[in-house]
Amino acid sequence: MALSKDVYRAFEDVVGAEYICDDPVIMPSYHQTEFAAVLLPQNTAEVQAIIRLCNKFSLPFRPVCTGWTGKFAKGSLYLDLRRMNRIIEINEKNMYAVVEPYVISAQLQAELMKGGLHLNVKGAGSNCSAMLRGHGHLDQTTSGDDRNHLAIEWVTPAGEIVRSGSLGSSDEWFCGDGPGPSLRSILTSAVPPGVTPGVFTKAAMKVYHWPGPAKFPIQGVSPNYSLSEIPPNFMARYYSFPSVAKMFEAENKIGESEIAFELMGFNVAMVAANITTSNEEEEETFRRLSREVQGPGFFVIVAGNSAADFAYKRRVLEHIVAEAGGKSLASLEDPRLEGILLCQCIRISASIRETFRPGGMFSSIPVMGQRDLTIQWAIGAGKAKEPLIAKGLIVDDGGAFFGWGVEQGHLGKTEIFCKFDPQNPEAKAAVEAWHKEQSTRAFKERYFALLAGQDEEIGRGLSNYHIWWNEIQKELDPNRVSPEGGALV
Amino acid sequence: MGLEQYKGDMEMCCRCSTCKFIPMQRVSGHDFVNVCPSISRFNFHSYSGGGRLNIGAAMLRDGFQYTDRLLDIVYNCQMCGACGVSCNYAMDMEVLEPIQEFRIRCVADGKTHPALDKAIAGLRAHGSMVPPTGKRGDWAIGLGLKDATREKVDVLYHAGCLTSYDPSLQKLARATAKILQKAGVNFGIAGDAEICCGGRAYQMGYQEDFLRQARENMALIKQAGIKTVVTACAEGYQAFKVLYDKFKLRGDLEVLHISEFVDRLIQEGRLKPRKKVGLSVTYHDPCRLGRLGEPWVHWEGKKVPGDRFVFDPPKTYRRGTHGVYDPPRNVLKSLPGVTLTEMTRIKEYAWCCGAGGGVSESNPEFAQWTARERIREAESTGAEALVTACSWCEKAFDEAIRETGSALKVYDIVELVEAAIS
Repeated sequence: MALSKDVYRAFEDVVGAEYICDDPVIMPSYHQTEFAAVLLPQNTAEVQAIIRLCNKFSLPFRPVCTGWTGKFAKGSLYLDLRRMNRIIEINEKNMYAVVEPYVISAQLQAELMKGGLHLNVKGAGSNCSAMLRGHGHLDQTTSGDDRNHLAIEWVTPAGEIVRSGSLGSSDEWFCGDGPGPSLRSILTSAVPPGVTPGVFTKAAMKVYHWPGPAKFPIQGVSPNYSLSEIPPNFMARYYSFPSVAKMFEAENKIGESEIAFELMGFNVAMVAANITTSNEEEEETFRRLSREVQGPGFFVIVAGNSAADFAYKRRVLEHIVAEAGGKSLASLEDPRLEGILLCQCIRISASIRETFRPGGMFSSIPVMGQRDLTIQWAIGAGKAKEPLIAKGLIVDDGGAFFGWGVEQGHLGKTEIFCKFDPQNPEAKAAVEAWHKEQSTRAFKERYFALLAGQDEEIGRGLSNYHIWWNEIQKELDPNRVSPEGGALV
Repeated sequence: MGLEQYKGDMEMCCRCSTCKFIPMQRVSGHDFVNVCPSISRFNFHSYSGGGRLNIGAAMLRDGFQYTDRLLDIVYNCQMCGACGVSCNYAMDMEVLEPIQEFRIRCVADGKTHPALDKAIAGLRAHGSMVPPTGKRGDWAIGLGLKDATREKVDVLYHAGCLTSYDPSLQKLARATAKILQKAGVNFGIAGDAEICCGGRAYQMGYQEDFLRQARENMALIKQAGIKTVVTACAEGYQAFKVLYDKFKLRGDLEVLHISEFVDRLIQEGRLKPRKKVGLSVTYHDPCRLGRLGEPWVHWEGKKVPGDRFVFDPPKTYRRGTHGVYDPPRNVLKSLPGVTLTEMTRIKEYAWCCGAGGGVSESNPEFAQWTARERIREAESTGAEALVTACSWCEKAFDEAIRETGSALKVYDIVELVEAAIS
């Protein structure tokens, strides 16, 4: 398992003695995996040199930023990218920011907000890399997945440095598709495996107009943060509807009228998680909110560019909601709770309170597609959770799911969680069975479930994409040193 | 129970890395986003709060394997608790407590650090965490203070080891005494009979030495009939107020930091700062006055079987919410001519001065590195001076300033109060 002295020395020569460690004692902190060593490269040149050595010694590697849980192969090299943490450029005129992998979304967002800009903070949370691929609360107005990556500096699994898009023909980062090589399908594809082999060492991220303050007026002491005032021309509301059909009707119209800064198809369990500071409080709040809603619902943030713009958007929103028989959840109109939700959803991207806090683990099935159809699939997956809830194996969230439209459209993401205690083997087994059964059903019913390790199922539905992908991978990674990808983790 | 009682907490860590950063809402830019000195300096995840819990959980499961690297991880931590505050914004789990228990376990297993052993040997020999430079009560010569072990007083001022013995910091003890005299407080000191509070020994993992100090201190206090103890050092404050309570040794003794007491005296009109100080300052929250100064919460119970990490009876976590944050700020704002500008990392998510957890003894270079980072942050405010409320912080900052040549001045809050009332 351990590296030979010569191999260790070769890597040590690249990063320096202080930035390599193969002591087994540190490995439990790295995802409970027996890595051959952990390395902390500082720049692109070091990453390239490491990858070339990986090819020379046939050693697989995996780059990681801030982390989260994950499964990793024993004996591989772990590239911890935390020393690559610079914001290279914020280009206000052309609306992009160039960052290294360990710049977290909260950092970049805070810098952007000072200049009237912001970015898509992924659902994993603002504590994760700003380069992360994926979706988040702000997808309505900031899109998701491959749409936010512009030019990328990429060290391939063979150790070559590739500069995509405009960076391939100039020093400019403004476009991912040219003038210069467009490698969109390889670099930023949403199709599983969704992780490009090699390491992204810099990327230009698309940024968007921010109509809010340079800084949120936070008050209080953790965990009781709130806003001293709701920023001018901002409003957050939760609406519930008599039926799923009515909810989707309103969601669709809100998208078409382009009035929502954010629309998150939360259930009240997730609202409860976000506005509370402990598990006990969350449980009680969920029960209370469940009694207040009339049916399924969503959370909306309206952000106006001016008082008139805000008034117009608000008026349209209220009209659409009323037409669909929607009702605002009165208790969330309290400015304190409204402020907490504004901050949670824009600055935090929720995440940890609603996923890990209850039991320590969650298992998720995310599905991309037309929202009204994917919601129908999720209702079934939610019903399948009910026996597990009844047995006390997973957290009672009413069997709920969540989701949202991307780019104000009817296409979007729908997702469903089971939150559970991973130390309970019965719960773990039940959740795994639920996951397998429901993801199988998704594929069978031709839904596009974004699940790692399911390439074949998806590939068959997409012109045998997986076969082509495997061929590309062989070309990119002839020595199979980056079999699990991981360029944007 | 030791480390074992926190098995469930350690297993709850989801490796999200929030323990490395200040709470996300408080991130105001690219700089000053880190909250944990250890992971910031040493970079490997094992030096973070979460990494320490992951290792603890693994060792409980697979057995303890001590290596030089493990001990390097264990002793390169200021035990400042910032990781726990950031984690506990979202999570219900203990963070600092298992890290503390891990260190206690190392000491119990004889896996100590030579520099800490030396400090503890000094404590056992002299009742002090710093080498004596004379008699403990020498700092009070000429001030005419009451001996609380012989005379009836309302308040005992516990000066602490560093303030008592360090010639450059004895001015803090004298300033504190003058403030109390000016306010007409019936107070006394234990003088040569004063001994270490034991707090730093506890941080270093020497629980038995801490308990010995705590019992001796409480015996002295009980015998003298003391109802209120005032400390001007955050280490002593946390020991008397929080740790003695944790081990059910404090009884109903009132414990106040001098900043709380001065705030009270000003509000009651017993102290009137009238003289213009004329200084722009920024304030450093000492860890053990701020987030770790919040009261201990006694709790015993069991995990409720099932899907959630909840307990019967419900457990109240100490998340840094109720630390001492406003009193020192109130005091500074009441001083004529003092303008306060805040740093980015303040209150519950303040960056540590570097001196805690025995790091100033075991790895002075790391302690200095940590202090320099705080000096850099203080300089970014444009303030002329960095004010703190703990002699250990002042010492760390003074050394960092000497090394960097920074023009920033460092004061303890009592120095400014003294200037405003003299």
